[in-house]
Amino acid sequence: MIISDNLRFSYASLEDDAPLRPAIDGVCFSIGKGEFVAVVGRNGSGKSTLARHINALLSPTEGTMRVNGIDTKDETQIWEIRRIAGMVFQNPDNQIVASTVEEDTAFGPENMGVPSHEIRSRVDTALAAVDMLEHVKSAPHHLSGGQKQRVAIAGVLAMQPSIIIFDESTAMLDPSGRREVMRTIKDLHQKGHTIILITHFMEEAAQAERIIVMDHGRVALDGPPRDIFTRSDILTNIGLTVPQAVLLAQGLRETGLTVSNVLTAEELITEKSVIETAERFTYFDKLATVKTLLPLPQTDPLIKIHNLTHIYNPGAAYEKKAISDINLTIHKGEIIGIIGHTGSGKSTLIQHLNALLKPTSGQIIIDGEDIHADKKNLKNLRKRVGLVFQYPEHQLFESTVYKDVAFGPIHTGMPADKVDESVRRSLKIVGLSEETFEKSPFTLSGGQKRRAAIAGVLAMQPDILILDEPTAGLDPSGREEILAQIKKMHAELNVTVIIISHSMDDAARLCGRIIVMNQGQIALDGTPAEIFSQGPALEDFGLDVPHVTRIMAYLARINPVIPAGILTVEEAVRVLSASPVSKAFPSEASV
Amino acid sequence: MTRIIIGQYYPADSPIHRLDPRVKLLAVIAYVTVLIFVTNFYGLAVAALFLAGVIWLSRVSVRFVLRGLRVILFILSFAALINLLLTPGENVLFSFAFIRVTTEGIHRAAVMGARLVLLITGSSLLTLTTSPIQLTDGIEALLKPLRLPAHDIAIMMTIALRMIPTLAEELGKIMKAQKARGADFETGSPLKRIRNFLPILVPLFVSSFKRADELATAMEARCYRGGEGRTKLKPLGFTGRDALAGGVVVIFCVVLVLTRFI
Repeated sequence: MIISDNLRFSYASLEDDAPLRPAIDGVCFSIGKGEFVAVVGRNGSGKSTLARHINALLSPTEGTMRVNGIDTKDETQIWEIRRIAGMVFQNPDNQIVASTVEEDTAFGPENMGVPSHEIRSRVDTALAAVDMLEHVKSAPHHLSGGQKQRVAIAGVLAMQPSIIIFDESTAMLDPSGRREVMRTIKDLHQKGHTIILITHFMEEAAQAERIIVMDHGRVALDGPPRDIFTRSDILTNIGLTVPQAVLLAQGLRETGLTVSNVLTAEELITEKSVIETAERFTYFDKLATVKTLLPLPQTDPLIKIHNLTHIYNPGAAYEKKAISDINLTIHKGEIIGIIGHTGSGKSTLIQHLNALLKPTSGQIIIDGEDIHADKKNLKNLRKRVGLVFQYPEHQLFESTVYKDVAFGPIHTGMPADKVDESVRRSLKIVGLSEETFEKSPFTLSGGQKRRAAIAGVLAMQPDILILDEPTAGLDPSGREEILAQIKKMHAELNVTVIIISHSMDDAARLCGRIIVMNQGQIALDGTPAEIFSQGPALEDFGLDVPHVTRIMAYLARINPVIPAGILTVEEAVRVLSASPVSKAFPSEASV
Repeated sequence: MTRIIIGQYYPADSPIHRLDPRVKLLAVIAYVTVLIFVTNFYGLAVAALFLAGVIWLSRVSVRFVLRGLRVILFILSFAALINLLLTPGENVLFSFAFIRVTTEGIHRAAVMGARLVLLITGSSLLTLTTSPIQLTDGIEALLKPLRLPAHDIAIMMTIALRMIPTLAEELGKIMKAQKARGADFETGSPLKRIRNFLPILVPLFVSSFKRADELATAMEARCYRGGEGRTKLKPLGFTGRDALAGGVVVIFCVVLVLTRFI
């Protein structure tokens, strides 16, 4: 179906003297009809470039790409190739053309010149296939992220393609949106479509029949997920990770347990040896989960929120209560995670903390003072409470990185002689070297841009640092880097950190306390172990649980002595390998 | 931004909604043109009656239609006031300095005001009962005989309509983010205020170009190659109902012009 033969491709360089680094450097593979292939690799490894060769959006510099026997270089066949190989992109907002769902779904067939009555039936079939028939007349900007992506899929389906390429189509969605889209993808595969799924989420890749791992424009590994994930050494080396179930199985194998080559949580919990270990488990040393039993830090309350309610457009027909009656106390030095599905009120809540939004009713007290008591204090407040928005790199605007980072400190009234020191220190913490200081922020890589933007807030020297989905859209190694830097900021700069996250793993690993928002209210508030041991409740809120936690929760049902709130693979291995006689646990209270 | 009611589509299933957008466009053009020639209350009464009939048929809630007038309330009262105070005439009722209120003035202000209300309400009915897509389809069809790049204009309008809510949302987000970094858009001299907008404009332009680029790629991936050979999900169809509506509008226009001679 798809045959790539020694494919090479280089983007035209903007500067003449810059050496051309090929984005794709000799790629060979063939994909059969009806296969479900995941393509993984870090940012810049050539995944998207490769995908864009399959539907002739790009034409190879060398080598050939054949789709259904047609050479993609053949310009007379270009529209046929694009019909055969449909593509769903990352950002739902930037691929929906028309202002109603049905008109957008019709866009492809209209371009192909399909007769009107047939377009109608294709649109209805396609929307039914993605379960969006009830929204035919809706405007795209009224839909959720997951729904928009399903509309985009319908738009491709209406062209009746045999191949569908997903270019990081789940990257911008919340957990329930990701689940919706993944369910649709698997469904399409069942119906016989050839699926190519580009993703940064290894748990998604594990659901494919085959994984192609890209690195530096080449195919590093190619095979079934079961084989690919046994090569965790190679994967880690090229900046990727392995699903938690696979890691846990590996960890257990190292302790001497016979565990077969499992892929998912569901497989692991049906492993005979694992179940037997769980059943035998009688002894439990509390030290093993010492972290989860730590009390909340007994420091002074820093932020107190009283009965906070916010209503958007009060009095209008479309007024919306975003948050209602929130009461919350945040202590100095905490790292708090706020999780909740899109629209649960997380962003509204945090925008009150630096007075970007005014409460409809209620009070916010920071360090004993009502933040709205003194209007002149606004600048000081925004300096104290640093807020890093989602995709903060979109707010870069200055001619150099240095100037951009200096914008915040200068405008919040930092003395001129302190600005330089603060800017340099912040850039250093986020790991940007001196050479980048005088570069235009727009020439940096995606991950570097994000870090420069975070430095811009850090340079104001806030006491409280709020980050709205700091790792969204990054590849696994980019995510690790940002998380490590946030820990560093917390430790070195002594800031209180509040993080909004759609990644349950990040929240579980980083935060000492987690707040779950649902429908504008605080649904749960507690330690990660407490929160994530409530799997079913979280799923009701459109959230998820780290896979390892889910595995342990299942085993805890077999044998109630097993602690349920286990958050990391290391912890799980330690608990499960605890033999009845051994009492000496390594009392690592590591993070 | 979302408070502007003019131009907002009011989804419903009514005989007016179902009319061919071309007919509706031409009818509005005709309606506006003849309304300009109306000078007396008979004409206004006929137009008002006609409009009331159309509103009733369209099933758009009257409150919704009238809310559109709020936006022009200022212009409306200003125009009426000017006419009221500055119309020269014989029958002076009240005078102070250069201000003279005359019966002619009152008459003119009333006609003027009523005409404006009828004008705005009538044309907003077009957008209230016609979805943006039908509207662009209609404009495309009407422009075609004029040898204009009709399809290109139509697709530009479609994309603009689609992107306005997205960009408005984006603008709000960028403003907030820069405020969080201490940017101030409310104080300072005019020149300083303009400069203060750089932190908003640069990111907005950068992201708009990025969006445009991604949208173009997505459109190409879905086989978009201009207007040639394109078909439509809902092709415009001129039916008996449309002919009937056209006839009614023509009769209305003739009657309205005739009222001048009463």
